[in-house]
Amino acid sequence: MRIALVGNQNSGKSTLFNTMTGDNQKIGNWPGVTIDRKEGTVKGTNHTIVDLPGIYSLSPYTSEEEISRNFVFEERPDLIINIVDATSIERSLYLTTQLLELDCKVILALNMSDLLEKKSLVIDEEKLSSLLHTSVVKISALKGSGIDELIKLIDEGRILDNPHKKIYQEDLEEAIEDIAKGLEMVHSRFVSVKLLENDVKFASLQSKDIEAKRHQLEQKYNSDIEEIIANQRYEYVVEVKKQCVVKKEYKETITDKLDKVFLNKWAALPIFVVIMFAIYFLAVGVVGSATVDFVDGLVGKFSDFMSEWLASVNASPWAVSLVVDGIIAGVGAVLNFVPQLIILFICICLLETTGYMSRIAFFLDRLFKKFGLSGKSLIPFIVGSGCAVPGIMSTRTIEDEDEKRMTIMLAPFIPCSAKLPIIALFAGFFFDRYNGLVSASLYFLAVVTILISALIMKKFFFKGDSSAFISELPEYKLPNLKYLLRDVWDKTFSFIKRAGTIILLCSVIIWFTLSFSWKFQYGVDVEDSILASIGKCLSWIFYPMLGELSWGATVSAIQGLVAKEQVVSSMAVIAGLADDVTEGALIFSQTGIFGFFNPASAYAFMVFNLFSAPCFGAIGAMRRELGTTKKTLIAVAFQTGVAWILGCIVFGIGSLIMLL
Amino acid sequence: MKKRIYNKGEECHMSDLIKGQKALVTGLHGDNLALRRRLLDMGVTTGVEVFIKKIAPMGDPVDIEIRGYELCIRKSDMRNIDVKVI
Repeated sequence: MRIALVGNQNSGKSTLFNTMTGDNQKIGNWPGVTIDRKEGTVKGTNHTIVDLPGIYSLSPYTSEEEISRNFVFEERPDLIINIVDATSIERSLYLTTQLLELDCKVILALNMSDLLEKKSLVIDEEKLSSLLHTSVVKISALKGSGIDELIKLIDEGRILDNPHKKIYQEDLEEAIEDIAKGLEMVHSRFVSVKLLENDVKFASLQSKDIEAKRHQLEQKYNSDIEEIIANQRYEYVVEVKKQCVVKKEYKETITDKLDKVFLNKWAALPIFVVIMFAIYFLAVGVVGSATVDFVDGLVGKFSDFMSEWLASVNASPWAVSLVVDGIIAGVGAVLNFVPQLIILFICICLLETTGYMSRIAFFLDRLFKKFGLSGKSLIPFIVGSGCAVPGIMSTRTIEDEDEKRMTIMLAPFIPCSAKLPIIALFAGFFFDRYNGLVSASLYFLAVVTILISALIMKKFFFKGDSSAFISELPEYKLPNLKYLLRDVWDKTFSFIKRAGTIILLCSVIIWFTLSFSWKFQYGVDVEDSILASIGKCLSWIFYPMLGELSWGATVSAIQGLVAKEQVVSSMAVIAGLADDVTEGALIFSQTGIFGFFNPASAYAFMVFNLFSAPCFGAIGAMRRELGTTKKTLIAVAFQTGVAWILGCIVFGIGSLIMLL
Repeated sequence: MKKRIYNKGEECHMSDLIKGQKALVTGLHGDNLALRRRLLDMGVTTGVEVFIKKIAPMGDPVDIEIRGYELCIRKSDMRNIDVKVI
């Protein structure tokens, strides 16, 4: 059996999906976490279940909502599990009335039933079931209660048939039935309503007769048809609610209390700044620097061990060099930063799952609107601080095309987790005690750059009016520890996996091109190597921000296209082979190849690497969301241009400050 | 310019309401049909009661309580909604 999960945004579909399948799909506490369909198998059965983006109605508003409508309408699942957020039942049942018009069985999963008590609500699910003539199960997707019951119900096929209950007033109902009679197709009741509403999707089925009916109804109600139908749906829902929901006395909820602080007129912005600052301070500053030395020590020990062991088995010098100077130096340089990434991943997961992120979008909308963006642009920016790929994908929830395209082009400016090693390496070495401050400053520089770039883009490229911002404000929730651990583990593991695959491969290539000359002689001075000669052709590009013609920095920065952490890995390999050092901390030794770096050029180089073209993975995501290669190339050129200019400015200002 | 405060029984746009006021929606207008449809789907229909619950620190957007949940909406979009203060 094929089952579709349908429900409002942020009603807990993905959480239910995870509980039913044992998967760990991304969940969060903001509307629009799921932007594509995901398939899985229900635990202990062979039923396929499809998780879909949240919708409020079967009249899609944004591109990801269209996915849901098309799935339930065209792919005809055998069963729809309609997740109803028990705490906002009215709006949820509005969608239910539409789903019940389809020729499909529907089962109602009354979610978040554990929160009902807190909201002083009591729902009589038997009454609800008899009124809607639909099977109803009370569940809590987060706590896992009621899930077994739900699965059992589906497995045993004890689901009430969908009788297409009449919900409208007589005249409207008559019109719908009349139209339905003339349609010989599935979902005829649903299509009739859509035809009456004059939905463009069904334009080919329109007729004079339908038009006459619509006209008649509109005159009678002195309103337009869409409003008449929406009104009557809601009237029906209110009636149902009256009969099966009892609300006890009103209490101020914890959410209301928290919002008095987090959305306070004066405190909101400072709190946000402090939180973002704290994240980078924690990750790169305090805890971060403590862990780097530890991991670095381990890598160093391993490197010594390998070099001794290889020598003891009489491995040739080039083999020792490949393993020690190439692979271990390259991969080790990246692995150093794993503890810091874990902290960053935990912080981002907390922002996403507690509900604070929706608040940020809410209170920054005014500011962002001035720059031609939406408050919703902030969600891609924060998700993007983990990884730009899901960040870019989450722009799908933005209604306005211009705002969406601008957000896609700007989201890669945010320092993602792969850029963290670059920040940590430079900030840790050149800004010592202030490294936390410097890393946080880069985050805010990114935000400022985004706003200024948005203003420029708005002025020259996107001239449309700014659009609407409609979103719901979810309640605060405590994070689910199990999900948090799995989410952080998944992300950390994928970073380590990348270190063991892409970074390892690159390290081998870097080692090879550094150890050989164009004549394939081994053991040449690095200055005469293949890589150096390539770098020397291009090193002029970086002269204005480094104050030095450095082929090493040049080739490293270019490798950021593969993965941003590769910049660090490449520098470690180059420094190691050039100066015969293997430990990452010695990359910047005074006499070494990167000895010319000073705080000004270090900051400038960081800025360039942060803002220039993102990795191929993110460029691919941009290509998918922007739709054309041309737009993507423009975006990448724009980003790299901004990065280069900023890098040069930073170096200029920094050098001046250092002179004083 | 001091903002005019509408009293009980008076009709105005939803954007004219201040924090803590309650009102009934009396109609929706505006050229943006997609937006109008969205508002209808979100439950902003004639006769529904709204409560201005929170206002973002910079004055916009506004968080309204409607049909038992909280909806964020910009002031510019609220201008398309007619209400009667209660």
